[in-house]
Amino acid sequence: MDASARFIPMDAPATDDRAAARLAAHRRARRRATALVLLSQFALLAAFIAFWEYMTAFDRQAAFMFGSPSAIAGFLVTMASDGSLWRDTYVTGVETLLGFAVGNVIGTLIGLSLWYSRFVSRVIEPFVIALGSIPIIALAPIIIIWFGTGLMSKIAMSTLSVVIVALVTSYKGAIGVDEDQINLMRTLGASKFQIFRKLVVPASLTDIFAGLKLTVGFALIGAIVGEFMSSSEGLGHAIFKAGSLYIIPKVFAALVATIALALLLTFLVGKVEKRLMPWRRLG
Amino acid sequence: MSAVVPPTVAGGAAAPAGAPPLIVEHVAKSYDADGRIVPVIGDLSLNLNEGEIVAIVGPSGCGKTTLLNTLCGLISADAGRICWHGREISGQPAGVGYMLQKDLLLPWRTALGNVMLGLEIRGVPLSDAEERSHVVLDKLGLHGFAEHYPTTLSGGMRQRVALARTLVNEPDVLLLDEPFAALDFQTKLLIESDTARLVRESRRSVLLITHDIEEAVSIADRVIVLSKRPTRVKAVYDIALASDRTDMIAARESPGFVDYVRRIWADLDVARN
Ligand SMILES: Nc1ncnc2c1ncn2[C@@H]1O[C@H](COP(=O)(O)OP(=O)(O)O)[C@@H](O)[C@H]1O
Ligand SMILES: [Mg+2]
Repeated sequence: MDASARFIPMDAPATDDRAAARLAAHRRARRRATALVLLSQFALLAAFIAFWEYMTAFDRQAAFMFGSPSAIAGFLVTMASDGSLWRDTYVTGVETLLGFAVGNVIGTLIGLSLWYSRFVSRVIEPFVIALGSIPIIALAPIIIIWFGTGLMSKIAMSTLSVVIVALVTSYKGAIGVDEDQINLMRTLGASKFQIFRKLVVPASLTDIFAGLKLTVGFALIGAIVGEFMSSSEGLGHAIFKAGSLYIIPKVFAALVATIALALLLTFLVGKVEKRLMPWRRLG
Repeated sequence: MSAVVPPTVAGGAAAPAGAPPLIVEHVAKSYDADGRIVPVIGDLSLNLNEGEIVAIVGPSGCGKTTLLNTLCGLISADAGRICWHGREISGQPAGVGYMLQKDLLLPWRTALGNVMLGLEIRGVPLSDAEERSHVVLDKLGLHGFAEHYPTTLSGGMRQRVALARTLVNEPDVLLLDEPFAALDFQTKLLIESDTARLVRESRRSVLLITHDIEEAVSIADRVIVLSKRPTRVKAVYDIALASDRTDMIAARESPGFVDYVRRIWADLDVARN
């Protein structure tokens, strides 16, 4: 739609205004559809919260077991005003971000460079699969022995839960490049490195970003599991502590902050994706 | 002088004078399909002279693409000789442009960026590459579309960009594998005419694979008909049309045209192949 509208001025200048009007109408319709989706999502969430509040308002047992939206909100306010909410979110955010970055950089570099050698990738394939199938929580005790109980162990946990996924998605992207496209590069005289840099890496970006979006959650899980094992701050620590004291609304309050963090990071990845791949918005 | 020459030297000043751009002698190629040997190219000889457009037609699956990939060094022949400008070459020959039915444009590059690809690879300075690419885009009627991404271009325009990407490298020989097959009739006639004009005015040689007999007769100086697998040359037609050979519509209207098409059609007849 966008594309054909752009060509109209060249073919038929007289219909320029009508085309512009059609385009504007189309944009309005699309905005209305988006607004409707947002409204429905908001309504669904509001209905769920109202139902939750209603079910726990008159039942102390239920309120204790499931918390209540108002109690959760109350905890969020106190945690925000005593600063612990910001502090914990910040700590977990830093751990997640660093684990996310380190894991994705290492994983993507290895995954892409495996494109270079079919031999090497075949040799290491079973090891990658084996490493990928280890539940990272099983590694936590060793990680704490190796990296201590501070920031490093959380980053290590977060990195480990990201790295294999990043490796596999970027490798898939790299070997999925169209054979004809590689042949074309060869007939243009490209060296293997030029094919890698000018074709394989940019062609893999779509898969790499799919991996990035997936690994936001994994990085967060890694950081929080690390905090469960041993920590004095962070959202995982807050959840663990509140849970062991049976303060369920506080568990949920920390969970809300965790979700907000995940959404924020996913949003940022999406922004970077749009910035790095402007051609994707066309089409 | 050794028979094997690095690709960069091929087609350069030292090439034997008067040698045709391409000679193919007794080339054979088989594939190994799950341990079964499938002969695809039987015994094939042909040559391509300077400034000549040769079309190759043949039943689908007879090995036309295999032949083209062999010629440009993407796969190696089992037997026979392939000489570019009088020399046998290992690897990719220089000065050869290659284009397929798929435009293979890189979606992250603009039209201009796509056209510049080959020059960039060869290390031509960026501003120089940009200027030369603009010139070729303009010649193909794409003035004003240089900054467009491929996704915003029509199929015909995309194929024009692909043609520009091939021509900007100023190849002596173009190897074209059904490049216009996916286009609608009118677009096809226009691009064919532009291709013929650009190629003939600079005396480049073209080997065009097509399954469209009318396309073959209207554009080519010679049409080679291949048999089915294992393929060999079945017939060769020298096309003599009185019309302007860069005008595909005029070619279709000239007296001998229909006769050539009928005879080639008869040669290709599936039942008698
Ligand atoms: N890499 C390959 N391995 C095995 N068989 C192949 C391969 N490529 C092509 N073939 C077979 O070789 C034959 C010729 O293919 P191709 O050259 O693409 O034909 P055409 O371009 O004339 O339609 C076909 O039967 C095809 O199945
Ligand atoms: Mg083919």
